[in-house]
Amino acid sequence: MPRTAAGHSSPAPHPTPGGPPGSPRLSARGVVKRFGATTALAGVDVDVAAGETVAVMGPSGSGKSTLLHCLAGILAPDAGTVRLGGTDIGTLNERDRSLLRRRRLGFVFQFGQLLGELPAVENVALPLMLQGVARPEATRRAAEWLAALGLAGKEGRRPGELSGGEAQRVAVARALVTGPEVVFADEPTGALDQSTGADVMRALTGATAAAGASLVLVTHDEQVAAWCSRRIHVRDGHVTDAAPGQPAAGPASGASAPGGAR
Amino acid sequence: MRAVLALAPRLHRSGGSLTTGLAVAAFAVTTAFALSVLGGLLGFVARADDPPAPFTRFDAGPYVIMAAIAGVLLLVPLVSLGGAAARLGVSRRDARLSTLRLLGVTPGEVVALTVVETALQGLAGALVGAVGYAALMPVWTRIPFQGVPFTAGELWVGLPALAGVLLGVPLLAALSGTVSLRRVVVSPLGVARRQTPPAMRWYRALLLLVAFGGFVAVTKLVSGLEAAVVYGFMLGMLGLAFAGLNLVGPWIIGLTGRVMAWRARTPATLLAARRLVDDPRASWRVVGGLGLAAFVAGCLSILPAIASTSPISSDPVERFLLQDVVTGGLLTLAISFTVAAVSAGIQQAASVLDRRREYALQRLAGVPVELFDSARRREVLLPLLLVAGTSAGVALVLSALVFGAASATDGSGLLLVLGFLAGGVLLMLAATETSRPLLRSTLRDTVVRAD
Repeated sequence: MPRTAAGHSSPAPHPTPGGPPGSPRLSARGVVKRFGATTALAGVDVDVAAGETVAVMGPSGSGKSTLLHCLAGILAPDAGTVRLGGTDIGTLNERDRSLLRRRRLGFVFQFGQLLGELPAVENVALPLMLQGVARPEATRRAAEWLAALGLAGKEGRRPGELSGGEAQRVAVARALVTGPEVVFADEPTGALDQSTGADVMRALTGATAAAGASLVLVTHDEQVAAWCSRRIHVRDGHVTDAAPGQPAAGPASGASAPGGAR
Repeated sequence: MRAVLALAPRLHRSGGSLTTGLAVAAFAVTTAFALSVLGGLLGFVARADDPPAPFTRFDAGPYVIMAAIAGVLLLVPLVSLGGAAARLGVSRRDARLSTLRLLGVTPGEVVALTVVETALQGLAGALVGAVGYAALMPVWTRIPFQGVPFTAGELWVGLPALAGVLLGVPLLAALSGTVSLRRVVVSPLGVARRQTPPAMRWYRALLLLVAFGGFVAVTKLVSGLEAAVVYGFMLGMLGLAFAGLNLVGPWIIGLTGRVMAWRARTPATLLAARRLVDDPRASWRVVGGLGLAAFVAGCLSILPAIASTSPISSDPVERFLLQDVVTGGLLTLAISFTVAAVSAGIQQAASVLDRRREYALQRLAGVPVELFDSARRREVLLPLLLVAGTSAGVALVLSALVFGAASATDGSGLLLVLGFLAGGVLLMLAATETSRPLLRSTLRDTVVRAD
């Protein structure tokens, strides 16, 4: 799959300087999150290096989605810190966290995140337009991403006119078009059959690598997790282990992509 | 079957009390205005037999015709409001009903379930609306017609008519709900997949032009004929104009949406434009009745000018008649605006609930909620200004063609109509702002994924 157009076309001016050299891009320390009497996360440490792809695994109710939401600034942790580059996400208010998600993070959900009225290319251009990029430029970059993900010729289709796998690849383009530092994917293949799911994972990991972004992927599916360079397991609110033979927080070997230096 | 009906309360809860409340409110507004309009019509019928001085039975006759025209004008938006309320309830249950279908529940059972629920909402709304009819009495009994305001007794529809409306509204609700359920029943998989609707044809615009052209030509020709013949032609012309407007309205809204989408520079305008393109008929259902009322009011706005220049203004009956026609036209416009405002509120609420998952996920990805607010305002305002403005404008041009350009020189009637239009636009915007808290509470409550 060609993705030459995509890599260099994504702008990456970071509003906040990164952390000290060698420090992880995303770092959580002692994160606690409670819902009423239930403790979803009981003091979790996670590091994600630049360009690394991490699968977060665990059974239903283990807290893996809560972990993703805390890492992505969707939920504010009750205790502990989450740092993205030099930014302490926990100290930001709701509005600033929303801004941070829009500008510095990308998201791919299970299904239904595309606006049904908008054609594919406008769905992808939307986050750029929200940042103030003029519509012709936003449309051009969106079309490049769609082409890079094998969707050339389908720019004008609306989500209801795309297959499940195509819609997820549009979602991948939407997540990456702003040049995010980290992409969060929550069961991105959960609504797809196995072979379509593999296509989407190939597109997701390939495009993320090409853009130089890190990837945090929540899944319960071993085959999906196999696409990532590292996996962590969440059980009862604790990160129990890294997969055997993998360093706990090392940069993954195969994931640093051309043009990914940032 | 009994097991499925036993599920009804549970499904009902899943739809949420807010949508139930909105549907009941819409049925209530429909009922209250339907009873008021019927009461007014009956009042004029009674007065035609025993008119107040200086009217004679001959003079009072045209009032019944005009009240009937106003009634027909209001019937369309009232029925479509009732229909919108029924659809709101049904679309809430679409997803779950689809699930039931996939589980093997028969189409008949799905329909029965919906009929029972929607009819119950319709009945509740009709009862509230009957109370609203009584509450509106003090308003109607202040407006003078034929020099004397109606008394509450004159506007009372009578027990049989009241019972008829109380039965008719739930029936209409059930019927409308059943029709909009067809999609679920026909194809359980078809509901979630939204696709580009087929574009509407340009020949609709041609039809309207032909209707208007023929109308002007006919009126010019018949000006020397008897009053009864002229009335007949006027009714026919009105009917043609309405039919033409209804044909061309959705097409124009869709076309405007396309142009707007092509030119849009901001995400909010783009989103609003795409929604207009997506379902121009839905927008037309909200503002269409308004277009007709604005058309009539625009036609009538030149009457004060005629009255001031015409020698007949010395006749008290003629003077009352001209005055009352303007009052009636503006009253019709005001009721149309109120109904359209409730329709728009309902439509936007349904739109928020239909898109709750998309919106929630967009918000998680950092899209500001304000985007959906400003898209909604544009989506409501554009067709509203387009339809109300165009209708009033076309009416003015038609009147000028029929009665002569000189009649448009007195601006007082025009100003009055413009004032009513401005007030109505504000009312519509206020009604759709009710979606603001709904959007926020929906985003807060929508669970994107269990675990």
